[in-house]
Amino acid sequence: MFDKSKLGHSFAPFTIEVERCKIHELTLAIGDDNPIYHSRKAAEEADYKDVPLFPTAPTIFNFWGNTQLGSQLQSVGIELMRVLHGEEEYEYLAPIYPGDTLTGITTIAEGRSRQGRDGSSMDILTTETRYTNQHNRPVLNARTTIVVRG
Amino acid sequence: MTTNAQNTQVPAKLYFEDVQIGDEIPKLVKEPMTHLRLVRYAGASGDFNPLHTDPKIGEMIGTGGIIAHGMLIMGFVGQLLSDYVGPLALRKFGVRFKGMTRLDDVITCTGTVTEKYEVDGEARIAGKVQAVDQNGDVKVAGTFVAALSRRG
Repeated sequence: MFDKSKLGHSFAPFTIEVERCKIHELTLAIGDDNPIYHSRKAAEEADYKDVPLFPTAPTIFNFWGNTQLGSQLQSVGIELMRVLHGEEEYEYLAPIYPGDTLTGITTIAEGRSRQGRDGSSMDILTTETRYTNQHNRPVLNARTTIVVRG
Repeated sequence: MTTNAQNTQVPAKLYFEDVQIGDEIPKLVKEPMTHLRLVRYAGASGDFNPLHTDPKIGEMIGTGGIIAHGMLIMGFVGQLLSDYVGPLALRKFGVRFKGMTRLDDVITCTGTVTEKYEVDGEARIAGKVQAVDQNGDVKVAGTFVAALSRRG
């Protein structure tokens, strides 16, 4: 059961450098063969400053950037094997390019428990991660809602 | 200049004036889901939850084999939007995960423009998007906001 006293709690900040190769790898895995994601040269030829951020690339920041994510969730009483992903939302505030260094701070924004029809209870938890770049400029907000089966 | 969102060689340059409410985004049909794609996506994203990569775990927790990362299906929808407006045009993109995707499922992504408006000096469109499988079961449903250039 998720510890409700942790609502509004922020975890320790993490930093991640945005890498061209990781964006390339993600789009290969997704199967997007748009060359702007695959080489700097192709991106420049298409009038981008560098390889642009693929729309769901912030997931890389979340998992590879915040290596403490699992233990952070466990520290507020969440069992990882029972977690299902409910919702994901990105708000893109400014362009993010390879070479940028981002700092993310994750806060537990919302949390509630719900009774299932079969009497079991589940926790529904929303985290918000706010990212700033090396110039201290807000560049991205990511909201993740997870459902933890009881 | 006409838009050609199908062409992935260059970013789609979609002008505000060329979009009408009700316009459909050119649909994207993906290859059948494979175990290899899930392993590859796990490495790329950093999400190594065995639920998505280890068939034995899938049997054990009752999902009936491995299921795809929801974020991979959101990624397919991301490709749809990247082809349509280009990655830097997006201001907001959010989805709700509505169903599990299994091996061999064929995912089709579609979307519709629902709004045109101006805010903060930007010409914006908003729309809804979804991903369904070969039976029409919805896997992911969501919304997006994009800022577009004006002609001239």
